Amino acid sequence: MNIIILLVVCAGLVALRFVPKINILGWLAGWWIAVFVFLRWGIDPPLPTSIQGMFVAILTLALLAYLSANSAHFRFVLDRFVAFTTQKKYTIPLLAVIAVLPCLVALRVYFDVTEGPAPPLSSRTIHPPPPTSIEVAGNTIDLVNDDNPYRALETEDPAAFEEHVENGRRVYYENCVYCHGDDMAGDGLFAHGFDPIPANFQDATTIAMLQEGYIFWRIAKGGPGLPSESTPWLSAMPAWEDFLSEEDMWDVTLFLYDFTGHRPRAREDHGGGGDH
Amino acid sequence: MKLLARRLPSGVLLFLMLAGLALVAFWTPDAWAQEAPGQVEYRSFPVVGSRVVVWVIAQLHLMFGAFVLAVPMFALTIEFIGFRNGDKRYDDLAYEFTRLLSVSFSFTASLGALLTFFLFILYPRLMEYLVSIFDWTFMLYACVFFLEAVFLYSYYYGWGKMPKWLHLVIGLCLNLVGIAIIFIADSWLTFMNSPNGIDAEGNLLSTWDAINNFTWMPINIHRLIANICFGGSIAAAYGAYKFLGAKTDEERAHYDWMGYMGNFIAIAALLPLPFAGYWLGREIYAFSQSLGIALMGGTFSWLFIIQAVLIGNLFLAANYYLWLSMERIHGAERYRKFTKWLLASITVCFIVWATPHSLVATVEEARAMGGSHHPILNVLGVMSAKNTAVNVLILTTYLSFLFYRRANKEATVSWAKTGNIVQFGILAVVVGVVIFLGVYGYFVEASVRIGLSIPQVSLVLFAMISITIIDVFMFRKAKILGPIEWGKIPNRAQYALFFIAITFAWTMGLMGYVRSGIRQHWHVYGVMRDTSVDAFTPTLGYAANVVSVTVLIFFAFIAVVFFLSSLAGKKKLDAGEGTSS
Amino acid sequence: MMNAIKICVFTVLVAAFYSYVSQMVPQTVTYPPEDTELGADMTTEDLVAAGEEIASGKGTCLTCHTVSGETGGRFPDLANIGLVAAERKEGFSDVEYLAESLYDPNEYIVEGFLPGMTPISDPPIDLNDQEILAVIAYLQSLGGAATVTLDTELRWQSEENSASASTAAQASASAAPSSENLSGEELFTMYACGVCHSLTDPTPLLGPSLYNVGNELSTAEIYEAIMDPDAVVSEEFVAGLMTAQLSAVGFYDKISSGQLKTLVDYLASQKGGS
Repeated sequence: MNIIILLVVCAGLVALRFVPKINILGWLAGWWIAVFVFLRWGIDPPLPTSIQGMFVAILTLALLAYLSANSAHFRFVLDRFVAFTTQKKYTIPLLAVIAVLPCLVALRVYFDVTEGPAPPLSSRTIHPPPPTSIEVAGNTIDLVNDDNPYRALETEDPAAFEEHVENGRRVYYENCVYCHGDDMAGDGLFAHGFDPIPANFQDATTIAMLQEGYIFWRIAKGGPGLPSESTPWLSAMPAWEDFLSEEDMWDVTLFLYDFTGHRPRAREDHGGGGDH
Repeated sequence: MKLLARRLPSGVLLFLMLAGLALVAFWTPDAWAQEAPGQVEYRSFPVVGSRVVVWVIAQLHLMFGAFVLAVPMFALTIEFIGFRNGDKRYDDLAYEFTRLLSVSFSFTASLGALLTFFLFILYPRLMEYLVSIFDWTFMLYACVFFLEAVFLYSYYYGWGKMPKWLHLVIGLCLNLVGIAIIFIADSWLTFMNSPNGIDAEGNLLSTWDAINNFTWMPINIHRLIANICFGGSIAAAYGAYKFLGAKTDEERAHYDWMGYMGNFIAIAALLPLPFAGYWLGREIYAFSQSLGIALMGGTFSWLFIIQAVLIGNLFLAANYYLWLSMERIHGAERYRKFTKWLLASITVCFIVWATPHSLVATVEEARAMGGSHHPILNVLGVMSAKNTAVNVLILTTYLSFLFYRRANKEATVSWAKTGNIVQFGILAVVVGVVIFLGVYGYFVEASVRIGLSIPQVSLVLFAMISITIIDVFMFRKAKILGPIEWGKIPNRAQYALFFIAITFAWTMGLMGYVRSGIRQHWHVYGVMRDTSVDAFTPTLGYAANVVSVTVLIFFAFIAVVFFLSSLAGKKKLDAGEGTSS
Repeated sequence: MMNAIKICVFTVLVAAFYSYVSQMVPQTVTYPPEDTELGADMTTEDLVAAGEEIASGKGTCLTCHTVSGETGGRFPDLANIGLVAAERKEGFSDVEYLAESLYDPNEYIVEGFLPGMTPISDPPIDLNDQEILAVIAYLQSLGGAATVTLDTELRWQSEENSASASTAAQASASAAPSSENLSGEELFTMYACGVCHSLTDPTPLLGPSLYNVGNELSTAEIYEAIMDPDAVVSEEFVAGLMTAQLSAVGFYDKISSGQLKTLVDYLASQKGGS
């Protein structure tokens, strides 16, 4: 939800109240534009075009119903329309409209035709299911119960914690930055070569909703060998266990959270939930 | 009786003869032994294929059947009201509704005969099996159908020619027989969806259990209510059609009123329909989770988005008609300022209801959303949100009715102010709790969430009933601000009535498809597989086109019915008044 | 007359509008499920693949269940079912638990869920015992390793089915008498495992010694080490060698699920070090 757009839209509607001699057409146009702007730009992440189209269609229908549910309004608009199409003083604007309408249609066709080819959409699970434990350099790491071994330092020994974060920073900028980007938005130099694109850690739906063990697993094991069920998964993420020490990987995990300001997802009690 | 036999349209006789013939043929297979019975499983139909031809005919039969069964219900009710309060207008209206019946009944019978014919020819294996399960009910059906014809024609032709009480009794019998017909027919088709009373190999154990299967009663109730909606909306469309062609103000006033009454019946029946549908859905889940998921979660989940568009349109059009209707009432201006709020509520509910759970998105959009689920829309796509939206939609429509009811009245009772506050309080609390329960549904497990819809529904019903009761007492001896000027309504309101009728017909077609379609590749779910070339489930677009064509054929037929009915009316006018008492 | 024409046009327009709306939603055709071919000489990998196909197709499992690791669905998520199956029900092995959940789903309901699944051995899903075994193999592979074969006998199987299964097995056994009833030792020799791995001595040859493998690795790990040798390779050995060798001799094409189980069991019994 983009608060600024929402405020601007509301302010616009309030401002409409103070427009002198505003008629029903002005109101309808105002509402239509306001809702359209909100649906188009006010929601983050943006709505798919198909949904926007549907919502705008319903809105249009509702506004037309409002207009014609009141005979006074309806007659007013009809009169205006008739006046616009017949009266001499509107000849030039009328011609302009007649000229512009086909142009808009042509423009639409132009955009449709020139649109580049797009791959067909396949639904894909963003977070593949983790195993309960993994082997890294001979150690078994229990992804269900083990936490980041250095996370405890945050409260116990802030200085040492800071060292680990600093090491994580070094690791990130030596290895990860090329794909995940300077500010971790998944837009590094190489990012555009990949599908799926590198994860955006700033986004609230990536590391913020995962536990550190999960991040560690993704770093250590990377794309190869991910389970095939549910989805095609073609991640280009390397298996960093071959290049980094276990400590480095835990440190960079700390750094990801430190830099983005997210907190790892709290550990839930797994007592008999049975969903895993 | 002689008169009756002469007038009994050939369609009925044809149907009975064909049905009897077909039954006899399957009971004594020796007669057809040369054709090697049981060898032919399917026969093909040229060009459109067996499935489509049976589909279209069955749907047309169902639409006419719905109309023929529903009209007597409210015709009788209206006649009874007229009988009690002595207002001749009501009697005339009931008679006018009934006049649509006689031609429609012949159409229904002919289509039924055609359907039976095609089913036995094109799907012999399935029909043989169904006959083995339901043997005697087919015979019963034929008898009941005959009774229906007798009652219907004596109700129609006996209007004003017999004591009123006798006429009302015949009307009652007509309705009871009509309900029996739909119940028997429902048992066959619900058996195909949720077979019961058979062993693992599909052999019959108990015909009664086969009839009384999981979805039988829910479908019966759902169809009864939906039939009233449908019948009302078609009757309203008839009123609209006559209104548009009316020459005098008197005629206009009459048909405006008729359209209003038809629409009132349709919308009043529409309000409880989602609840009946919900019960049906639950029973389908209770019978088989796979069938339920196929209905709501799998291929057909998008069908319910289309349904949401249809129902949203229905509610919008119904409210729209009421708002326009208020223009003919003096004093209604006082309520005009609420229109925009009602509209806003309808629009928001419409949007929530029509929001799909999984979205169609391009790769870029999916990337931006981080998956195929949008973080915000995801919230609107689930059952909790949709249930809440429907309940609020129903309450909003109810409010429009309430305003219409009060339009030219001013309460004179001393407690009018308190009454208003109480009514508003009930409404506010109910809306608040319904929305709260909807939101609360997100935080509990699925098992609890499903149960939440029951308090929601009960609250909405409670609100509607209690507010109505207060309203009735509050507006007794109310000051009337001005008359209702029947006939003073813009033409576009009549088009709204057509729109409602078409949308109802289309919704019926779509729901008929999904009821049949969820069986997927089964004739009788889990018992008899469909091994024909048409065993696949077509795309929704294809199904929608078939539904559209069916609806257009139906309205072409209905146009004929309207035309013939108006001819009958002309003769009566020429012959002079005084036939009805 | 004008009115009649207007009404006709209006009706056609409204119907066309709804048809148009219906073209906007995803258009899919659902075909009746096709029977997946199951043969006695399938490898475990084939069996898992067949099971996966059945699970998403004819078995309609994935209509209700997810395999994503996300919680909160209407039905239990299956992402780690191969791992948790053995712990679900007291006294039930993972295979038994899975079999019961498929043949008799309402016997045991995972906490927090409602009963509602239909026995998949009955119509409408109506899988036969062989297909159910394939599904079990697939489920085991989710978070674990498949151990069932088409010859596994379960007490839920119907009499005639198990009879026909055993005849099928016999038929295939008579067709290929040389390979199906071999012992683990014979298989070890037949596939020339001893060229690189020693069974009698802790000294590594080209590959690590299997002298004490039964203690060092779990059954699942042995399975993995055979089917995906590069998943875990000790530092002192060359990665990729075993895969190349086995592929070259056609091991993965030849070995059936039954043989693989025999072989893995045989290796698991090698506890020379203890």
